[in-house]
Amino acid sequence: MSILIGADSRIMIQGITGRRGQFHTSQMLNSGSPIVGGTSPGKGGEWCSEGRLPVFDTVKDCVEATNADVSVIFVPPHSTADAILESINCGVKTIISITGAIPLQDMMIIKSALRNNDSILVGPNSPGVLVPGIANAGIFPREIAIPGNVGVVSRSGTLCYEVVNTLKQEGIGVSTAVGIGDDPIIGTDFSTLLELFEADPHTDQIVLIGGPGGDSEMKAATFIMEAVTKPVIAYVVGENLATSILRPFFSRSGSLPLDTLGKKTGALKDAGVLMANKLNEIPALIKR
Amino acid sequence: MKLQEYQAKSILKKAGVPLPASTLANNAVQVKRIAAEIGYPVVLKAQTLELGRGRAGGVRIVQDERQIENISNEIFKLVLNQHPIQFILVEKAFTFSKEFYLAITSDMEAGTPVLCLSEAGGATYLEPESFKDARVLNRQIDINMGLKDYQIRELMTGLGIDPSLWKQIQFIAHKVYEVYRHFDATLVEINSMVVTSQNQIFALDTRISIDGQSLFRQESFSDAFDPSYFGWEERQALKFDVDYHSFPGEIGCMVNGMGLAYLTIDQLVNLNTMPAAMIDIRGGATSTSITSSLEMLLVSPRVKAIVINIFGGMTRCDEVADGLLKAMDEGLPKKPIFIRLEGTNDDSGLDLLHKNENLRFFSTTEALVNAAVGWLRGEEE
Repeated sequence: MSILIGADSRIMIQGITGRRGQFHTSQMLNSGSPIVGGTSPGKGGEWCSEGRLPVFDTVKDCVEATNADVSVIFVPPHSTADAILESINCGVKTIISITGAIPLQDMMIIKSALRNNDSILVGPNSPGVLVPGIANAGIFPREIAIPGNVGVVSRSGTLCYEVVNTLKQEGIGVSTAVGIGDDPIIGTDFSTLLELFEADPHTDQIVLIGGPGGDSEMKAATFIMEAVTKPVIAYVVGENLATSILRPFFSRSGSLPLDTLGKKTGALKDAGVLMANKLNEIPALIKR
Repeated sequence: MKLQEYQAKSILKKAGVPLPASTLANNAVQVKRIAAEIGYPVVLKAQTLELGRGRAGGVRIVQDERQIENISNEIFKLVLNQHPIQFILVEKAFTFSKEFYLAITSDMEAGTPVLCLSEAGGATYLEPESFKDARVLNRQIDINMGLKDYQIRELMTGLGIDPSLWKQIQFIAHKVYEVYRHFDATLVEINSMVVTSQNQIFALDTRISIDGQSLFRQESFSDAFDPSYFGWEERQALKFDVDYHSFPGEIGCMVNGMGLAYLTIDQLVNLNTMPAAMIDIRGGATSTSITSSLEMLLVSPRVKAIVINIFGGMTRCDEVADGLLKAMDEGLPKKPIFIRLEGTNDDSGLDLLHKNENLRFFSTTEALVNAAVGWLRGEEE
């Protein structure tokens, strides 16, 4: 019925007593997500969310007491690498880093650790994993999607909201929506999630939202050609910029990647993907 | 964040990488005095973060003191991509028989540092075409293991480098990797690394880029930012931790997240319009950074209309509303504001805003951008 998270998941929050952690934990609880507790070093033994959730000093303590198998991370960027490594070390299966802007070499250390472990890291800079009706493991706005059979995977968080919201307005439901994060180095790429969606019996079609920079859409195109039988609908934001008058201004600013613009749509099309030219063309491309 | 050449060289010199003697100068008289101390021939190098310095005449070899002030003044007159040259690095000139390129770069897809060795001495990672047909060999480094001797050896033998040079190259590669790790660099390159007639290796040119996301723990670089490189808006943006991009249009935009930024720009471009500015307040922005962002758009004379496109997850719409109201209360120029405010706490955010007469509300990106462009066209007619 979903990927990464299901009805029997046990979700913990790292940074559960911080300003953002606290606020979003209560949002998640309100949507009925199976949250079992969280960590906040120095506050072990306390309770939070009106006494509904236990707080622990370490992930180890939290996992031992609650059997948590998913962790959502809200700690500040300078301690995020430590928080992720702590969860990897405790065998947490799915780790979701909402925090972004982690130093790149910290991410390199994490990538190296992930190669030797079974944990999956979603993010950093991810909006989380949303299984409508079951769990919001992250910061998805409330009531943004309805349950259904379309899997959604996006680099941008806000575009992920846009898409599931557009689908909802057309009465189309979502099995799982995942924001993989738009930082330069991320834990899990499109291909891993496409593989999970392909294997999920409750996902019939997949929507992929890409953007400028990197080559994860190109790799996704290759993977779809080789290993995905379900229909894939894609939208790559920013592709218009390739031919646009704005191009010189983007290149000058230096921070906006341009090298791959225009190539991704072609590669995905060649892999048999249905391309939307605009976000609101997506519902029409989904088979009812 | 790119460092200036003289900053990069001072870091590598401290790390023990062999470099020619050099000193920084900011006028022609100083250049002449330093050249006399170092001894001719010298090479004068314009200090700039822009690419294409050599092509623009910013690197000149001077054989003796007769021409040095004239040449220095020519370099000080250069303007590269709107940035005037303020400093010249005066450096001992070398004759060399052979040159190489050595760098630690970052592979963002794999998430690893990469050792890179090539015969293309003066190339740069920032311009892939500069390697032309030269051989380039790369090895990914496991950051938890560090750079190993065998990896360097594999690349040196791969390029057929003479074993008499191995020790020196190995030493430099390890130092470059240490600098990369210690300073949270994304790139440390030596272009070029030259071999003198005495078989001594020197690093002639270097380039270092520091990861902007690590600056909180790299305090030594907090003053390495060259303020002349930024306009008022960019400096404000740095201060309030938002992204600011300037364009030649008339619509000022504020969004949360790069995805929405691209989507909004795509929509403008579809209507043959350009933004004047794109401010990305990023996830979870505070009301202070939102106030400051709107202020920038309100005071900018180029901005005729403002588009605010927020789909809040971490960003709370009530905090956005709060920040916007503060900016509108400051007696700044009034401009029509087209806004779409959706997501976390949108009800309370919209409650706060709905009485304000400068605001026009929309529920989709498309409707929002269409209305702003329509208004602008109406004004122009």
